[in-house]
Amino acid sequence: MNAVSPGSEREARTDRIVRHAALDRAIHWLIAISVITLLLTAFLPILGVQFAWLTIHWAAGFGLTAVVVLHIVRATFWQDWREVWIGARDLRDAATIVRTTLRVPGASLPQPGKYSFAQKFIHLAFAIVVLAAIATGGLMMVKIDTPWWERNPFWLTGAQWGIVYVVHGLAALCLVTMVIVHIYFALRPEKLHFTRSMILGWITSAEYRAHHDTNRWQVR
Amino acid sequence: MELFRFSRDVYGREVLEGMSWDLLWVFLGVAVAFVVVHALYRWRFAARQHD
Repeated sequence: MNAVSPGSEREARTDRIVRHAALDRAIHWLIAISVITLLLTAFLPILGVQFAWLTIHWAAGFGLTAVVVLHIVRATFWQDWREVWIGARDLRDAATIVRTTLRVPGASLPQPGKYSFAQKFIHLAFAIVVLAAIATGGLMMVKIDTPWWERNPFWLTGAQWGIVYVVHGLAALCLVTMVIVHIYFALRPEKLHFTRSMILGWITSAEYRAHHDTNRWQVR
Repeated sequence: MELFRFSRDVYGREVLEGMSWDLLWVFLGVAVAFVVVHALYRWRFAARQHD
């Protein structure tokens, strides 16, 4: 174990730039836990693992809904939601990334602000798919007995329920792909500082300068 | 491979039941294929940078 003097430890701490506040990290991990619980309770019975999945499934859905509402309120009123919004400059970045990937001469990877185009894109995709799953899952709650109401399967017609089931199922299937791809990128060596920041909250100032355009993400 | 699941209601009419769960393997396969292709590309890209 390396000995670290109090002075060098203090220097290391002042070298840190907060990327995700504690509440945002808690929101991320609570969403992760509830989405994985929802996927396991949805697909394990289909794959032949039989257990009483329904109560766990709708309880995790309630938890996910509560945390997503908290995230939307916090992002709207306490944070700058434009940090994660895809704008014209991000689309130009995406085009440059494609040109660089295809080795078009003269193209070089642009430095992003706080979030890269890929991070903004996966956030948008998760937002659409999770909100679709929450909306359709909320409707499906009408069809089961809970401590708060009795089931009413006639709230919608059979054809309308079919559409609700299709959207819910499609959202769940998309989440399987998106969660695997998201975890893959989180574990890639060049992305580990992002993963650390989602666990501990910070990146170093060297990582900040190396991976970000400091004009596009100005740290206060 | 079916895209949707159907059943019949009490009147014998076909009713949409949701997405076909056979598609789970398609969505899993797409994820695995993406991961493999991306990892190979990055590995080749890193190898060329060291040439």
